[in-house]
Amino acid sequence: MNLFNKETGENKSQAELLYQVQQKKKFIFRRNVILSWAGLLLFLIFLFSGIELRSANRVTSISAWHFEIVTENDIKVRKRVERVLASLPVGLPNDGISLKTIAVDNEFIRNNSNFVAQGIVQTIKISALSIMLAIVLALLAALGRLSTNPVIYAVSTFYVSLIRGTPLYLQIFFFFLALPQLNIVLTGLWAGVLALGLNYGAYMSETFRAGLSSVGKGQREAASALGMTPGQTMRRIVLPQALRFAIPPMGNDFISMTKDSALVSATGFVHEIMWRATKVGRAEFRNMEALVMAAIFYWIMTLLLTSIQSRVETRLAKGDR
Amino acid sequence: MEAIVRISNLDKYFDRLHVLKDISVDIQPREVVCLIGRSGSGKSTLLRCINFLEEPSHGSIEVDGIRVAGGEKGKVHRQLVHDVRLKTGMVFQEFNLFPHMTVLENVIEGPVIVKGMDRKEAIAIAEENLDSVGMLFKKDEYPMRLSGGQKQRVAIARALTMQPRVMLFDEPTSALDPELIGEVLNVMKKVAKDGMTMLVVTHEMGFAREVADRVIVMSDGQLIEDSKPEELFTDPKDPRTKALIDRYRTGE
Repeated sequence: MNLFNKETGENKSQAELLYQVQQKKKFIFRRNVILSWAGLLLFLIFLFSGIELRSANRVTSISAWHFEIVTENDIKVRKRVERVLASLPVGLPNDGISLKTIAVDNEFIRNNSNFVAQGIVQTIKISALSIMLAIVLALLAALGRLSTNPVIYAVSTFYVSLIRGTPLYLQIFFFFLALPQLNIVLTGLWAGVLALGLNYGAYMSETFRAGLSSVGKGQREAASALGMTPGQTMRRIVLPQALRFAIPPMGNDFISMTKDSALVSATGFVHEIMWRATKVGRAEFRNMEALVMAAIFYWIMTLLLTSIQSRVETRLAKGDR
Repeated sequence: MEAIVRISNLDKYFDRLHVLKDISVDIQPREVVCLIGRSGSGKSTLLRCINFLEEPSHGSIEVDGIRVAGGEKGKVHRQLVHDVRLKTGMVFQEFNLFPHMTVLENVIEGPVIVKGMDRKEAIAIAEENLDSVGMLFKKDEYPMRLSGGQKQRVAIARALTMQPRVMLFDEPTSALDPELIGEVLNVMKKVAKDGMTMLVVTHEMGFAREVADRVIVMSDGQLIEDSKPEELFTDPKDPRTKALIDRYRTGE
């Protein structure tokens, strides 16, 4: 290790050296984590590769299983086909071992991936609309929680308790199936947005409340002493600081909402990723392929959102506190 | 001369606790008044009653001709309180700078948002005040990156930029490291020299002695002595004042 500071030529201090050692340890740890991730990913891909290792009758072989459409008696059938990649006549001593991985129907995935991917737009649309509704509701509920007016306080806690005390699945059906009895007919999309918005609004109100109470009393007093009205104090001083505090957890909520939007497929009228995946999966009894596809799409979306969120977080951390 | 701050028969209760007992004081324009007393004597509460951060229970406050009675409610009262706050600038023990704004933004926030002053004009006044407290070179920094003394100097500039008639200081050096107290006291001396009316709650006896025109001693929610610093520090009339001064002397 370099014991001299290059710029000043002075001996490095103990603290500086310790810091360096810690940084190096951190770096090595991070690198190993990334490598392990890559390994796990490769293993997962291998698991779905359809490759089979066999050792029997003194022959050891590696073969790849896949699906093909073949015509038998003038009827097109999908068949599992084996292709031997390599075989060795010198088998392993103990016969009868076979190691099988899952063979997925690539043909099916090729044919339907576009159809399922088209659901991404709908999924994003539902999530974006719901999160906007949720933010407004959460802010109102959080302000209500901090209100000294007992009625406003009660309304806010009642809403949070009711929504958090019932399943999201039920709420979606309530808006979609129960409201028509009262002659209120919502499309699947709006029923979903309303249910998701109300649901996440209730959960996020806690985050907002924590954010609002993180702003010290001194900040309000300083604003009052300058002659700011309560409204100005809220808008200019309290809310900006509270939001800064609340944005990281809000990102988490947005990510889980993107996934919970899959529940809206239950209405049967919103053609988002999950609905499309189950539709094609059931039609050809290829549920595994369909769901794996949907899972990959959701995963990629959440990975992107997570990276955006962590970038926003580092930027917010720079400003203050 | 007409008093610029007139506190008349002020009472303040916290529930049943009687913290200010029938206090009446007049403060003349350009006067520097230090409020001293043991902690819990009510001196901070008295200061905070002047700009209604604490609502007085009875009695009245008059600042620059605006008289507000305590213990009232409603729109008229709120407007009067607002008017009084525009005439007073306040500096807190904990600085209370807005952490999400730069130094300059902190200082122009009041004039622009509350007074509706033109941004450019506000910046001109703000920069002048920041310069006079020696903080212009940090105008684009966030408060997090300033030392305690620097924060307090910015807080003083922020209060001054509202162009108040009276400045209220609530233990402005109590949260500072000892070596940073001097720079803040120097700025306060400068403000006093520029002719500002000042009311300072403080434990800095040296400052009180050197800068104050009057020193008021409080004990148990009452004013027990109100005289010129040279008299008060050399010949205290009340035994409690004497005890207070002795305590600081031995502490030094």
